[in-house]
Amino acid sequence: MRTRTTVAALLATATLLGTSAQPAAAYEPVNVVHTERVQAGPYGITVGFSTWPVRAMQSLDFTFAPDGGIEGRTGTVRQELVGADEHKTRKLARHPRKLEVWGMDIASLDTPGTWTMTFAVDGPDGRGEGVLPNLEVLEQPGPPLALSWAVATLPLLGLITFLTIAWRRTRPSREELSAV
Amino acid sequence: MDLTAPGTRVAVNARARAGTRGWPPAAAVLLGALMSMFGLSWDVQWHSDVGPDTFFTLPHLLLYTGSAVAGVAALVVVLRTTAAQRAGRSVDPAVGGHAIGVFGRTFAAPVAYLVTGTAAATFLLYGLWDQWWHSLYGFDATIDSPPHIGLLLAISTTIIGSLMAFAAARAERWGRIGVLVSLALLVAFFTITSLAFQDADGAFDAVDTSIAFTTVLLLVVAVSYFRRPGAALLAGGAVAALQAVLWVFTPWATYTYADAVGLPVRDYVDRVPGLPSLIPMSLLGVALLLEGALRVARASGWSARVVAPLCGAVATALVAALAPLQRTLLFDAPLPEFGYVAPTAIVALVLGALAGLLGWRFGLTLRAIAPTTAEEA
Repeated sequence: MRTRTTVAALLATATLLGTSAQPAAAYEPVNVVHTERVQAGPYGITVGFSTWPVRAMQSLDFTFAPDGGIEGRTGTVRQELVGADEHKTRKLARHPRKLEVWGMDIASLDTPGTWTMTFAVDGPDGRGEGVLPNLEVLEQPGPPLALSWAVATLPLLGLITFLTIAWRRTRPSREELSAV
Repeated sequence: MDLTAPGTRVAVNARARAGTRGWPPAAAVLLGALMSMFGLSWDVQWHSDVGPDTFFTLPHLLLYTGSAVAGVAALVVVLRTTAAQRAGRSVDPAVGGHAIGVFGRTFAAPVAYLVTGTAAATFLLYGLWDQWWHSLYGFDATIDSPPHIGLLLAISTTIIGSLMAFAAARAERWGRIGVLVSLALLVAFFTITSLAFQDADGAFDAVDTSIAFTTVLLLVVAVSYFRRPGAALLAGGAVAALQAVLWVFTPWATYTYADAVGLPVRDYVDRVPGLPSLIPMSLLGVALLLEGALRVARASGWSARVVAPLCGAVATALVAALAPLQRTLLFDAPLPEFGYVAPTAIVALVLGALAGLLGWRFGLTLRAIAPTTAEEA
């Protein structure tokens, strides 16, 4: 009887938790607060930022809007930290919340310094390349990363402590320790 | 905390009691762990293949509800155990192991549910920290942020609680099945937690090494806990089965949900399930090799003190060295050069010996959670 009551209570809790918060289908629009212009051969591109200035590790929306739209055009964007071996090249894909332009959602540049964004676009007017130089990325916000990682590993330290105590208080027989 | 007593054979007459009292809370914790596992895999795929983020997405709800279910189950068991002890009734150690006094003797908590409940509470705290982190850094650009790793470690500990709750009922078939499922969940969960090392620069692949280390450690736990031929293969099979189910579920849930909320799939996604593809596919083969090695060791009378680290070293090196091949097959990625795979395999070989030693001892510690013959008499 008690078992049945417990199971019923647990199921009711799970159902309540699962149904009380309705998933939100509405997502925030992309709010561009700063723009830069890049000329990639025959293609003019407006580069939009949802946060300005850009800070290391802070995620934002990037939008890349070629003049005349993205239809019939493809390309890549390469983000590179000047003077360091840190770079990433991606295909120009539609921004998931602003489908009429290319872009990157919830993306961050993780190291402070001067970055460049190099665009290579193929389209009806041929291939064009252009660079957005001197994109300054400021220091990361918040506490030093080492401190955050120290806090992040506390559960691991707790687990190791627990396992050490359990190990020391368990006395397996000689047979258990040696017989395969 | 007393986890053991002389002699660890489980009494057959423990079945009736543990069978009726033990399984509902253990099943609730396992259900919570499964919800977290499937929610996480779904969430990872959602971010990579669809994109838009809010706190109130279905994968987040599944992930968070999982920890809540496990935590509530643990709380119920602790309160019931405390009430029973105060009323002078006997407390069955097959339900989550021996009771430990918490806050002096204010609460009596069976060890498995103490671990589960503490982990669920930790998850809640790290969830709050994650919210604060979002206010500073925006939505998640990466899985391996410090709060995320804390959250993943908390869920992993919840699954360890599930493992312990089932281990306490080793005399029961459901107890042994629960141990296998929990071990498989832990293997799968530690793959994503290992991504904490993805920014580590070095001569070897720290992520592959970490995944191989935890995977083989848990495989050896299965061998040492069950102490019978076929245990490694069963554990490897459980991992493969979980991987197969996640492989089907993850893209299905992601694209169905995207359709339901009217969002398109991103351009240029490869559609390979992210989290399931991290789970080593070499594990079944490695488990088979391990079974062969253990058979030879049994026939030759070799000591586990030698066999466990030796098998652990070779198995870990194999799993780590084969990981790049798995990526090549799944993602059409180029095979890394021998000069990169070799150091990874060597580091894995050394750490694997430790995985074998630790796995063997943890398996025995897990066995000791089950009540002894004397306690059941």
